[in-house]
Amino acid sequence: MTINTLSQDGVQRQQMPCLTKMERMIISMQDPDMGIKLRNQRLLITVIPHAMTGADIVEWLIKKFTISDEEAAHIGQFLVKYGYIYPLKEPRNLILKADESAYRFQTPYYWMSTRWPASELDYAIYLAKKNIRKQGELIEYEKECYNALHKRINHTWDFVVMQAREQLRASKQRRKADRIVLECQEQAFWLVNRPPPGTLDIINYGPERRTMNTRVQLNAEFYKKEIEHNRMSLARNRVKSSICLESYVKYCEQYQPHDPIMQGCLPSNPWITDDVLFWNMNSEAVAVPTKLRVERWSFSFTELLDDPMGRKEFLIYLEKEFSAENLCFWQACEDVRHGESSKIPEKVDEVYKQFLAPGASRWVNIDSKTMEKTLEGLKRPHRFVLDDAQMHIYFLMKKDSFPRYLKSELYKSLLARAIVPQETKKSVFPFMRRQRHSSPSPALVTQTAEDDGKTKNSNSVKGNSGTASRL
Amino acid sequence: MPLSNNKVADDGSSTLQEGKAMVDSLIKVVACYRHLASCVGGCTDSSSLRRDLRQTRERAQTLALSCRNHLTTRLRDKTLPEAERKEAERQWVSFSSCLELLHADMSKVFAMAKHFSLANNSTMVQTGIQGGTTEVAARALSLPDLQEAGAGTQTSSVEGQEQSQLEQEITQVDRTLDDMEMKVNVLRWTVEALGPQHTDPVSTDSASLALLSMDEEAAQRFCSHSQMFAAMMLCGVAMFAVVLSVCVVFLV
Repeated sequence: MTINTLSQDGVQRQQMPCLTKMERMIISMQDPDMGIKLRNQRLLITVIPHAMTGADIVEWLIKKFTISDEEAAHIGQFLVKYGYIYPLKEPRNLILKADESAYRFQTPYYWMSTRWPASELDYAIYLAKKNIRKQGELIEYEKECYNALHKRINHTWDFVVMQAREQLRASKQRRKADRIVLECQEQAFWLVNRPPPGTLDIINYGPERRTMNTRVQLNAEFYKKEIEHNRMSLARNRVKSSICLESYVKYCEQYQPHDPIMQGCLPSNPWITDDVLFWNMNSEAVAVPTKLRVERWSFSFTELLDDPMGRKEFLIYLEKEFSAENLCFWQACEDVRHGESSKIPEKVDEVYKQFLAPGASRWVNIDSKTMEKTLEGLKRPHRFVLDDAQMHIYFLMKKDSFPRYLKSELYKSLLARAIVPQETKKSVFPFMRRQRHSSPSPALVTQTAEDDGKTKNSNSVKGNSGTASRL
Repeated sequence: MPLSNNKVADDGSSTLQEGKAMVDSLIKVVACYRHLASCVGGCTDSSSLRRDLRQTRERAQTLALSCRNHLTTRLRDKTLPEAERKEAERQWVSFSSCLELLHADMSKVFAMAKHFSLANNSTMVQTGIQGGTTEVAARALSLPDLQEAGAGTQTSSVEGQEQSQLEQEITQVDRTLDDMEMKVNVLRWTVEALGPQHTDPVSTDSASLALLSMDEEAAQRFCSHSQMFAAMMLCGVAMFAVVLSVCVVFLV
């Protein structure tokens, strides 16, 4: 397909800054006086100049930037991995060995570029060339890529083959040594840009990102925006890490007994033992809740409201205090926020009639300013129109009713009644139920249960298929 | 030598052949251009290389222009029979891919020439290439040999001029690509390639990477055919010499 590489949505792609830095480094290596010492590579009869050893590269880096051995080796690795230098002995192994192994510079045409990433068409031409040059020279993954490309860009395959042939014919015009070098260069380029499966893909583009338009007008508008942006950044709330780390530690300490991975799960972790007792005991409509669950409600108001049972208990308490309408109002607002778009106007209407209208049956106590704003917004109802009122009521409950609830008899008696489940006894036969892998899909299990019709059979089948699914 | 294609062809197959020939020559020129572009910034980069690049590019432009005109008129012709239309569409797809490659190469050369400017004597990368590229350029321009016209040294003004010219041509190719898409609607998924997936080797000249792959495959085979043959010859000659000397010793 025609893809304009020059303008992608009218915006020019940028070269990654690290690549420009590496390019500068390579250029400085070329200096005849201060650059790297170059030797000749001997291949039987041909002599090819401009080869260097890994040790030379590392030494040069150490001298030029006055860095340590390790750091020089690390930077050298980058140069090789990004394809600016390629190894001669083992071309598929893109690492820098700080010894006598030979390397050569890559020609600028084949330098890694994020502005013109290697295209499918180019790769197809390269593979076709390799195939034409010597049948069966393509490796496994290359063969797969070749076939895949043949399917994908089939419409232009004639062109691919013709262009491959022409490129081969053009390269025949060069002398042998140059031909070898050109082939090495191309091979190195494709090893970097289309790495074999399982090796590191050094340029992982990820989803196409819209880079900023480089052509910015430095006018008053631009500067005003910059000033505004910086002002907002300064006004951002910042917390010293010592303070926030303290609260982070407190949070971790508080929640640690509740974490199934850290503390373990009573009666047993369903994912490990396939025993769903834990979920049953913590479901919504259970008669007696677990102690941990009730304790958790005291951590914060959100915890209480998040748990449906907690909400129910809180509602009972509020009814005693004659302020149940607050919680009902809050719940109705949540419903509006998270419910269907089409039902919003009627829901908002309901809420107004029940809670906000003067003389309503369950009138909530909101301050005048918020009430005015909400009533204004009700003329054009949307999902978040009741947000301010909801927030007000939420904080009212949090500051007022919630602490009293935690001190109330209701809560304390519930806490006393709450049970601590017993840990399930490990089965007598130690090798029977020790399944450390995830159980098979419930659908599979139910189907086999239906097929056999006996629970005992289904248990053994579960065990068998469990072992079968173990990797 | 611009190919003029003003006359209306009355023989359908000849225009088909013409179109194919034009696209084929464009493919050849683009291949040569790519080959030349891969030498920019290397140690063989010189004013003659730049001149070769420029000439190849100009040739590619003229070819592309005539190709485009020819193919556009053919594809807009409603009275074209089905088989010929399919063939023309195939050529069209080849042509547009060719133009894409040319566009990419021209952009790359433009960017590289900015970094590796000859006028400012910027350092070139030592890539190990030694020879010149005049033969490739000669192949592109279909000349038996290229006269070494006085290349001369590049001054910065000349270079600047060339750069701006290149930039203009890049935008022109850009526009051509856009125009092409607008004017003729070729559905790419309906075009099927004729050729086989795997093609026969061009020649048996596998000397290029064989020298290097020998290091890798040293474990697999100890010696190739030719080496074995040479070794056998040598053994035969040695045996003959030994037999001869023994005879001489015994007879004398």
